[in-house]
Amino acid sequence: MLMLNVNMNATAQAQTPAPDAEFAFSRAYYTSGNPVTDGYGQGRTQTWLTDWPEAESHFIEGLSRLTRVNTSAEGRVVSLLEDDFYDYPWMYAVEVGYWNLSDLEAKRLREYLLRGGFLMVDDFHGTQEWAGFMTSMRKIFPDRQFIEIDPDHEVMHVLFDLNNKVQIHGLQFFYSGRTYEKDGIAPHWRGIMDDAGRLMVAINFNMDIGDAWEHADTPYYPEPMTALAYRFGTNYVIYAMTH
Amino acid sequence: MTELLLKYPQMLFDQGQLVLASEWPAWVAQILFVLMVVLISAMLIWKRNSLRYWQLAVIGLLQSAMVALLLLILWQPSIMTEQLRQGDNVVALMLDTSASMNYSESGSTRMQQALTVINGEALGKTGQQYALQRYVFANEARSVDSFEPLPAPTQQTRLGEAVRQVLSMSRTRPLGAVVLLSDGAENSGSLTREQLADIARYGVPVHTIGIGNERIPEDLELQDITLPGQAMPGTLLTARVAIRHDQPGVARLKIFDSGKLIAASEIQLQPATDVTSAWVDVPVTQTGYRDMRFTLDPIADEQVTENNSLSRVVEVREQKYRVLYIEGEPRWEYKFMRRALEKDPSVELVSLLRVSQNKFYRQGINNENELAEGFPTDRKTLFAFNALIIGSIEAPVFSAEQQQLIYDFVNDRGGSLLLLAGPNGLGKGAWGNSGIADLLPATLPEAESGFVRSRARAVLTQAGAQSPMLKLNQDPVENKRLWQELPEIADYQAIGSLKPAATILLNAQIEQSERPLLVTQPYGKGQTYIMATGGTWRWQMSLPSEDQRHETFWRQLLREMVINTPDRFSLVTEVTADTVRLNAELLDESFKPERNLKLSAIVSAPDGGSTTIEMHPADDLPGMMTATFEAGQSGLYAIEAISRRNDEPVESVRVAVHHDSGKAEYFSLRKNQALLQQLADATGGRNWSADQLDELVQTISYSPAGITEKKMYPLWDAPLLFIVLMLLKALEWSLRRYWKTI
Repeated sequence: MLMLNVNMNATAQAQTPAPDAEFAFSRAYYTSGNPVTDGYGQGRTQTWLTDWPEAESHFIEGLSRLTRVNTSAEGRVVSLLEDDFYDYPWMYAVEVGYWNLSDLEAKRLREYLLRGGFLMVDDFHGTQEWAGFMTSMRKIFPDRQFIEIDPDHEVMHVLFDLNNKVQIHGLQFFYSGRTYEKDGIAPHWRGIMDDAGRLMVAINFNMDIGDAWEHADTPYYPEPMTALAYRFGTNYVIYAMTH
Repeated sequence: MTELLLKYPQMLFDQGQLVLASEWPAWVAQILFVLMVVLISAMLIWKRNSLRYWQLAVIGLLQSAMVALLLLILWQPSIMTEQLRQGDNVVALMLDTSASMNYSESGSTRMQQALTVINGEALGKTGQQYALQRYVFANEARSVDSFEPLPAPTQQTRLGEAVRQVLSMSRTRPLGAVVLLSDGAENSGSLTREQLADIARYGVPVHTIGIGNERIPEDLELQDITLPGQAMPGTLLTARVAIRHDQPGVARLKIFDSGKLIAASEIQLQPATDVTSAWVDVPVTQTGYRDMRFTLDPIADEQVTENNSLSRVVEVREQKYRVLYIEGEPRWEYKFMRRALEKDPSVELVSLLRVSQNKFYRQGINNENELAEGFPTDRKTLFAFNALIIGSIEAPVFSAEQQQLIYDFVNDRGGSLLLLAGPNGLGKGAWGNSGIADLLPATLPEAESGFVRSRARAVLTQAGAQSPMLKLNQDPVENKRLWQELPEIADYQAIGSLKPAATILLNAQIEQSERPLLVTQPYGKGQTYIMATGGTWRWQMSLPSEDQRHETFWRQLLREMVINTPDRFSLVTEVTADTVRLNAELLDESFKPERNLKLSAIVSAPDGGSTTIEMHPADDLPGMMTATFEAGQSGLYAIEAISRRNDEPVESVRVAVHHDSGKAEYFSLRKNQALLQQLADATGGRNWSADQLDELVQTISYSPAGITEKKMYPLWDAPLLFIVLMLLKALEWSLRRYWKTI
């Protein structure tokens, strides 16, 4: 279990705070967040840390205000390899095009999902990152189908009716002028179901919901985009806590 | 001694009345006594010598007592009794000829022992003084001229009914008393309190002579089996077994489902009791009416093995029971409980979850209108559920009427209620001050008492280890291990002090102390539970995905909560000897008595034949309809009760009962001394031991029934009176010598 210090030293390990609420925004820490270079030439180190900590701190406030979910004021960073990974049945993983899970991480994440955990993945774009995501997902579930989430699916209506399927873009829109990144032009809300037909992995492909949370207080980031991202996130949490 | 001092036996004084036989009125004696006391006082004062006043008073008292005694003798004290006139009265002699009288003890059967008594001196004398009218009885009484030959043994004893018949048949005759020889093995339920009072109203003493032994060490009797009448397939039932025995040891019990052995267990027979009760597990798998036979292996020298077996019928059905769960906030407990129950074909979890301040999310509903207005506000809607779960939600969210509805749901409808811990649950949610506080098995602490997110370990209590709903494995050792190895629960909430009827099934081990975790109590027609955590979900997330302990716990808990909730239309059977009584209750959708429908029952016998009987209001059970039928065959009887409105069938309910015809006599085999004593006491008779009948004929003579005459027995010459007189005089003389006045 890791807890990050304020200067984002992702390798600094500390004791996880004791549970102080029913729900904690838990960010998945995968060990292979190797340095990569994205399509814009920006070097990245810990990919799993993207948008931290503003994304969760903003979203937590929204979730607390909009729902009755008893939410911890602080997010958690949870390693897939630590024992208390299973104490957080809702998990957020970002930049999963580069997560490159080890066999042990894949095995533990598979077990987590089969026990009833819920995974929301976000912020990966285009053919190459989908392939990167799929490589690890096939380690987790070699045979399970990926489906496009139907507009009538319960996760789209469990609290908010999410009929407005617009691409939630990242801040790069203001540099590139495009809502999409790389060749990920069309947004996809995909999912992996368990044997009972319940959604257990919510895949937000060609989108950057984390950026929309992170920049909720950025003056030029469009508020409707943030509001929609809040709603998606809230529905994922409520769905995970009811199904 | 009584006879030595007072001339007559004690019995005479018990039965008679003390009178003064002198023709002079009693007031004359009283006046004489006063005059003599005055005279004695005057004489003592006049000639007091050196005596002090207190010494004079003692002498005066002694002399007055002597005068009183002399006056009593002069007025001729006597005992007056009312006695049967010899030669004019009838004594009914009743002999039990039921099959249990053929039981052999100490080398002779009970019947042989009874005949020995009949041919003995005591009853011989009785026959000389009174006309003996002989009766044999078992299921009914019949007059006979002689006890030879005896009728064939009958497989039922209706002792109370037989006595009533004899009394009724003798109304036109001067019946002075009844002498009844029996082992008291009544098995028809006919000696109720009402029937005893009815018999006592005849005013004829019934003298009972007990035949047989109260203890039979070489016999085991399966006295009773308590088993739920309904079950869901794949569940484990717990049966309560009561075994009658007269020596400690081990009894081996086998359980057969329609002839197939499904379980066996050894039961330690306790030395300090005659009846050992034990709990045994009964797995049920297949649907339908399951004919469960419980059989004890015979012990050494056991004569009667027919009383080693009993059958019970369990209806195993795939019925959907509905449970309403209202939760105040999205929680992992909610999610994982729902998941645990999703695959359960028997329990349908309908939930109302407050996801935002004013929005409830519904799951498990039958249609879009169900619970659209939130928690039910009428009996019909709420009472359609079998159980109710209240999670982390404040009591004030519910109106006073809704709280009353929840109370009625448990108390009247017989539903189960489970309260879960949570930040807004139990005491924190003010449920301790709510309209349902009385229902709960604990007095919940004040609202400020908190819910803590500290982990705790669930520990089985002794009661919990016996409870079928907490059995993760049938083997007790394995079950204990499975519980011990469960991960910790995520949180805990204090529930305050327990109420007297509460049973703790699970404790929460927090550091070194244990606090109640799962507690239950019966209330009204229903049952209530408190689960002092909202954190069992950790069992699911911390154990391998194939581990089923979390799912099993919730499925079994909810099944236990719903399986015994009463139906609106219920039908139960009571079997007494070969008579089966049906009791049906029909309620409307609000669980109030339905009075506009008629009921009939179709009884299908083991041989396939069927009869229809009308049911009528039961005199002894308000609101119930009843009917009886005679079960002459052994086997499974299927019964269907049908309600009708204007002769059109409305709905029906079915039940089955296994009956072993003619087996009743093998049960309650031991002499029932208490019952014989009760019968004698209620009628003014006596319960006699077969070898101590010396006073029987004399006791019979004091009967107030029949043709009686008054008799006087003078007491004036009783030795006791003269002994007292001499003692008084001797005492006076001794005192005077001591005080040196003579």
